[in-house]
Amino acid sequence: MYRPIKKVVIVGGGSAGWLTAGVLASHFQSAERGGLEVVLIESPDVATIGVGEGTWPSMRTTLQKMGVSESDFIRECDASFKQGSRFDNWVTGDNDHYYHPFSLPQGFGDLNLVKYWQTVRDKISFTDAVTQQGQICDHGLAAKQITTPEYAFNVNYGYHLDAGKFAKFLQKHCVEKLGVAHILDHVTSINSRPNEDIESINSKHNGAIAGDLFVDCTGFASLLIGEHYKIPFNNLDNILYNDSALAAQVPYVNEDDPIASHTLSTAQSAGWVWNIGLPSRRGIGHVYSSKYISREGAERELRDYLEPIIGRRDAEELSVRSISFKPGHRQQFWHKNCVAIGLSAGFVEPLEASALVLVEYSAKMIAQQMPENREMMELTSKRFNDKFSQHWQQIIDFLKLHYLLNQRNDGGFWQDNRNKESVPQSLQESLTLWRNQAPWLDDAPHFDDLFSSASFQYVLYGMGFVSHLSQLTLRDEEAGLAAANGLFNENVKKTNQFLASLPKNRDLLNKIKTVGLKKL
Amino acid sequence: MTNYVVLNDNEHAKLKIVTERSASYGDGVKYTMTFPFEFRNIQACYPIFFHKDPESGAFYPVALFGFEDNENLFLSESGWDASYVPVMIKRQPFLIGFQQDADDPEAKNAVVSIDLDNPRVNEQEGEPLFLEHGGSSEFLQKATANLELIHQANEHSKKFIEALIEHDLLESFTLNIELNDGSANQLLGFYTINEDTVQQLSGEVLENLNQNGFLQPIFMVLASHSCLRNLIEMKNLRS
Repeated sequence: MYRPIKKVVIVGGGSAGWLTAGVLASHFQSAERGGLEVVLIESPDVATIGVGEGTWPSMRTTLQKMGVSESDFIRECDASFKQGSRFDNWVTGDNDHYYHPFSLPQGFGDLNLVKYWQTVRDKISFTDAVTQQGQICDHGLAAKQITTPEYAFNVNYGYHLDAGKFAKFLQKHCVEKLGVAHILDHVTSINSRPNEDIESINSKHNGAIAGDLFVDCTGFASLLIGEHYKIPFNNLDNILYNDSALAAQVPYVNEDDPIASHTLSTAQSAGWVWNIGLPSRRGIGHVYSSKYISREGAERELRDYLEPIIGRRDAEELSVRSISFKPGHRQQFWHKNCVAIGLSAGFVEPLEASALVLVEYSAKMIAQQMPENREMMELTSKRFNDKFSQHWQQIIDFLKLHYLLNQRNDGGFWQDNRNKESVPQSLQESLTLWRNQAPWLDDAPHFDDLFSSASFQYVLYGMGFVSHLSQLTLRDEEAGLAAANGLFNENVKKTNQFLASLPKNRDLLNKIKTVGLKKL
Repeated sequence: MTNYVVLNDNEHAKLKIVTERSASYGDGVKYTMTFPFEFRNIQACYPIFFHKDPESGAFYPVALFGFEDNENLFLSESGWDASYVPVMIKRQPFLIGFQQDADDPEAKNAVVSIDLDNPRVNEQEGEPLFLEHGGSSEFLQKATANLELIHQANEHSKKFIEALIEHDLLESFTLNIELNDGSANQLLGFYTINEDTVQQLSGEVLENLNQNGFLQPIFMVLASHSCLRNLIEMKNLRS
């Protein structure tokens, strides 16, 4: 007999566990009779790690589908609008900066603007030529207005959030609204079937908890996929050198200090400092490579970064939490009837906030491809592993691109990052092509790639890369030039409109706290 | 810009208010806020939709006069061509505000303010505010009563909106209008009541809406949509 899939057991809370629970329980109506049974067991005394406090725009859809009110989410998770990332000192280290915004370049689906921008690249940055979002961020403006409905945008956005509050918020929603069963208990051991499937997990006080599919959201502990199944780990520290982080929570000096609507990432001698503005505080941390700088040295650089923000005394006294990690991911994510989501599956530095989006994509794929029975699961798991290997490869390539193009001369970290041996073959091939053609729609190998070719454009041309484009004359050359000029002009017009009409990020967040956003 | 001050019979004894309707007196507006109590009169002349306050994002009902900014198709050489003029238009140049009572901190007294920069306000022509030997003119008494009415109506209107939201009756819509000359106009940023959702309401909900005085205005809004054709016709005649 085929074993139907009726019950999913998620091991581990935190944002990975609760996001997965929420996606599955709302998709399969766990609160209704006949819905999928979703159980989440988490240990009462394992502290969750707040991985990255930044999300992608995809989080809007993820939350909306779960039936979460955006106003509640913003209020309860100390959330703010994130419109992209700004990279300071990544190119030469001499006060350079560029943006990777969430908005696509103007007319991206119809025309590749790189060619036309390159003729004026000395006068205007790529971002400012093709999108409004860099300037909107520079002015500290929000991505929407109070009249814009929940989850809708004037310019594309994701969130900055307090990961601890987020997990609690999702927990409440999952348990109260979506019918997820929550068990607070310790996992003591695992019972296997003869085919090596997990039959149940033993818990200290609640006995054996059986299920058809087990989701490993146990963080770095990786209890099921790592400790139990011993799925090998792909270590990536030969490509992405960062393996340590120092994190601090930094108060605003004045209650009404502006809240940046982008993640600010500032290069240091052997890593970079993130600066994420939430309504009630900033999250600032230094992610670095322990091979190139000592913990003390990294802490010094972090405190030096903090000094102009909060003053010398506070910068010296602020408490700093230390985290170390192995950059990499499991060789497989779904093995037998167990799938790993979140840190248990893998982790790399939060340079492009890829942690939560991988959780969302994993949960979504499981929801959409949920196998009817255990026998079909063999095929589903194979496809899942192929898909997420592909996603990881793209993340690695994209992150490495940020380092590869640097022109800094201050120390081994930046120079070694340019070593060809440290660059994945796939990225080397792409780069070879990009020297003569600008990435665009057909450059993307898969329709569901995490990073669109627009993201590659922003980083390449933000970092000063030059594509020596084909000199062949195109049939519609003139029409293309006219269309490009039209789009550049439209961008100027839209930029002025948005700068005049969008509220300050903090003002809008304050207003949402009092009156909320409307659903329509 | 506006310049509202509290009205008093000492400083403002000589003021007069022009009551004529024209764009030069500030009547050239695309829409105005309206209230359920006047929907019966409004729906006879104007389409009723909902709009969001740009400051608070709160919905409020509006009577529509035109399709472009500052376009009021009801204004002509001879004034305002409609059998009913909305109270929010008639209230100009006054506002009602509330001041704490000096003797009783719980009580609040209504105070009338006047916009001294409003072009209707002058000392030469129009309706006087105060009588020659003191006391309010009949015009001012009527205006004050009108303001009190607006204040009460506003509270009721907020509850009406809450009920519409609670029962998912509001929906956004975009109106594309093609005029006889082929030009296209688009009406953006307005909301309306979804008739299908109204028809699916349970008897219990309908009873509740009716008891709160919300049912009739819902149907007045739906009925008002027929005025849209008239408005498009007026636009065609002008263009």
